[in-house]
Amino acid sequence: MSWAAHDLEPYAFQRHLNLKVAFVPLLIGSYSPDMMSKWFVYGIHLGPWDLKASNPAQFHRGWPGVGFTHSFLFGLVICLILWKGFGSKLWGVSFLIGHWAHALTDTGDTVGTMLLFPWTFHFHLDAWAYAGQTGRMTDAAAYFSGLGGMWDLVWIVYGFFSWRVLTSDYFDNVIFRADAFWPWCNRAVPRGALLTLYRAAFFYGTSRWIAWTLWAHVIHHYPYDLSWGGPHWVPAAHP
Amino acid sequence: MRLRLSTGTPDRHDLIVFGGYCVAAAVYIAIGLTWIDFLFSFWVGVVYLLVTAWLIPTAVRRIL
Repeated sequence: MSWAAHDLEPYAFQRHLNLKVAFVPLLIGSYSPDMMSKWFVYGIHLGPWDLKASNPAQFHRGWPGVGFTHSFLFGLVICLILWKGFGSKLWGVSFLIGHWAHALTDTGDTVGTMLLFPWTFHFHLDAWAYAGQTGRMTDAAAYFSGLGGMWDLVWIVYGFFSWRVLTSDYFDNVIFRADAFWPWCNRAVPRGALLTLYRAAFFYGTSRWIAWTLWAHVIHHYPYDLSWGGPHWVPAAHP
Repeated sequence: MRLRLSTGTPDRHDLIVFGGYCVAAAVYIAIGLTWIDFLFSFWVGVVYLLVTAWLIPTAVRRIL
């Protein structure tokens, strides 16, 4: 799984697609595969109950489970609902791009994704360890000690390289004009607040990457292991 | 319409805005390292950014 890439990838796509995409569905698409499932992967305390998947990796990425949310077909179905059902091709296609980017990025870990569901084969590159089953904190430590964290860094650097997509001029001339959602919001929300909201995912992804890296390596001294499939000090899950 | 983005060089206004976001990020990271749960929620991050990067600067501009 990825911790910050899904916050940052939409800005990279935005740089290249400009008016051809709408940013909000692009971002929602990028978040969508994990929206309803991450809490159950890590587990939560709800009063006297501890709710957690008995096999988090299987639940998150497999079948039976909700692994179909990381398939091309799932993104396509939501795309068609937005396009044909709600009449917005722009939102449908933008959602699809964001969603497929997430599904492809998550093939980087040791569990991978069922890209061609209903075929339940997991496509996985094994570049970094999937450690969601170990709990949120160990997963964070492992992720930011291996190639997963470095992959996030690539998106941060590319985001800064594409800094113009974060400027107010770009927001006014592209983001705001491409999608009627923004003028609709602007009836109640000032333009300055909307610009801040547009930048929020980049801020969140980048700040969180720095914070977790400091937490893992300055405060807790987890060892870096940038070898393929690492870090090997954590038990990686497999399909 | 086809837009081309050059990487170019940010102007003074861009750098001032970027500096403000860097300060906001430094405080966000400091809070997050002190209270780790702060880092988990996207919505907490959004509200934090709205307050620090829009609400407070807007209020200060109005007072001044």
